[in-house]
Amino acid sequence: MLLVQQIVNGLMLGSVYVTVAVAFTLTISILNFLNFTIPTLFMVAGMVSWGLAYFGLPFGLSGPLAWPAALACGAVASILCSLLVERFTFRYMRTRHGDSTEHAIPLVSSLGFLLILENLIRIFYGSDSQRFPGPSSDLTTQIGGIFVRIPQLVSFVIVMVLILGLVWMMKHTRIGRGLRAIAENPDAATILGVEPNKIVPVVFMLTGLLCGLAGALFAVNYGEVSPMMGEDIGSKAIAGMVVGGLGSLWGAVAGGIIVGLVEMLTIHFFGADAVQVAVWGALLVTLLMRPQGLFGHNAIGKGKL
Amino acid sequence: MLLEVKDLEVTYGRTKAVQGVSFGVERGEVVTVLGANGAGKTSLLRALQGARKPQGGQIIFDGEDMTALSPAARVAKGMALVPEGRQIFVSMTVEENLLMGGYMRRDDGVHGDLAAIYERFPNLGERRHMKATVLSGGEQQMLALGRALISKPRLIMLDEPSLGLSPLFVEKLFDLIRELNSDGISILLVEQNTHMALEVAARGIVLELGREMLSGPAAELAANPSLAEAYLGAA
Repeated sequence: MLLVQQIVNGLMLGSVYVTVAVAFTLTISILNFLNFTIPTLFMVAGMVSWGLAYFGLPFGLSGPLAWPAALACGAVASILCSLLVERFTFRYMRTRHGDSTEHAIPLVSSLGFLLILENLIRIFYGSDSQRFPGPSSDLTTQIGGIFVRIPQLVSFVIVMVLILGLVWMMKHTRIGRGLRAIAENPDAATILGVEPNKIVPVVFMLTGLLCGLAGALFAVNYGEVSPMMGEDIGSKAIAGMVVGGLGSLWGAVAGGIIVGLVEMLTIHFFGADAVQVAVWGALLVTLLMRPQGLFGHNAIGKGKL
Repeated sequence: MLLEVKDLEVTYGRTKAVQGVSFGVERGEVVTVLGANGAGKTSLLRALQGARKPQGGQIIFDGEDMTALSPAARVAKGMALVPEGRQIFVSMTVEENLLMGGYMRRDDGVHGDLAAIYERFPNLGERRHMKATVLSGGEQQMLALGRALISKPRLIMLDEPSLGLSPLFVEKLFDLIRELNSDGISILLVEQNTHMALEVAARGIVLELGREMLSGPAAELAANPSLAEAYLGAA
């Protein structure tokens, strides 16, 4: 029974990794670079939510409405932050310095943003973890002997709905097709009228939304935020993305859940110290046996925007 | 005059791909641009569609100066480029490829136009929900043309559409070009297949190293001995 409980916990934790892994996948498959700002966005959402809830700021709300309002503000902060990053790294570099296929530039500048923001927050709040004044942890239900915390269950559902919505959007809307066209062949897409300067911010907005939601939900579910909270989640989400297969949304979903399960089961059998070894070990084994990941294809490469 | 090109100059790094080319396409006319590899034909078309910024000159479409406009704006005004090598989106279905052609359209006539495309190209209709990779080279060329047609263009620019097609499909392609032209669409045709191009076009211009070498009515060009020696003999 304890094992089943750990599996359920793994799924819940995995849904956080899934959200962040999907954000990584969007940027890497459409813009062909690893967006290192993603862990920061996750952290910004968590810290802003915490700050607002702690100081009781959101619009003078109190009681049960205060923390959802704080979470929403955290997610919005993450979206704004992501758009800021787009404007001053990706777009600036791409339009000023010509060769857009040089994806080392956005990668390094996003890494710069990560470190600057992380340390700015550290200067203001210190590097200690802060307790998030969320809903009390006894909001728990029991399904067949398994304890499920209701906020976690709600988060899990929100995440899955968001990803289904994203997949639907990519498939059935004009913007979704435009994004896929830019991802596959920016040149042909541009000729048909897709405008990079209009559609690239959409990628960053979605990234901000996913990370913002993940960061806010993480803050509620695990009750703790810190300026470094993005690093561990970010690296595990990258592991999940690679296990699932670069460029595949469903791969990111599967990979994120696998990493969550591996983490919880490792804690169950071997203790918390073994988690990193197990997660990265699983990644290396996957890469050895199936270099393209579980659901990946080989289309990730050169010639992107 | 539907399209007017004045003193167009396009540079790639230090290479001057197009150097002061001027010509025009009348409404309802087929004009062909001929020339050897590296003569600047593709650079010319890319500049016309806005994918490449010209270093000098002017592009006027339907009386409006397009030179500073984005490719998106040019598509919306009625210019469509079928690029070299077709550039089909292989990760998309046939229908999604066609819908990409309608990216700039805001009206709700797109679905009716899809049906018309499927009627014209039954092979595409049968495979509308399959990945575009299942199509043969010739069918992919039809898809690229269909994708351009969905944007409701008044001018279609074709970059070497017959490249890599079987002789049977080349025939079909040129029939189709005539058909589209008789529907009132003006066509700017870049071709290596000089014989066929001069047959379908009213006028032609020949580029050499980015400059205009010859131009005139297609029949005159076809009879021109220097052109025959340079291109027709080889074709």
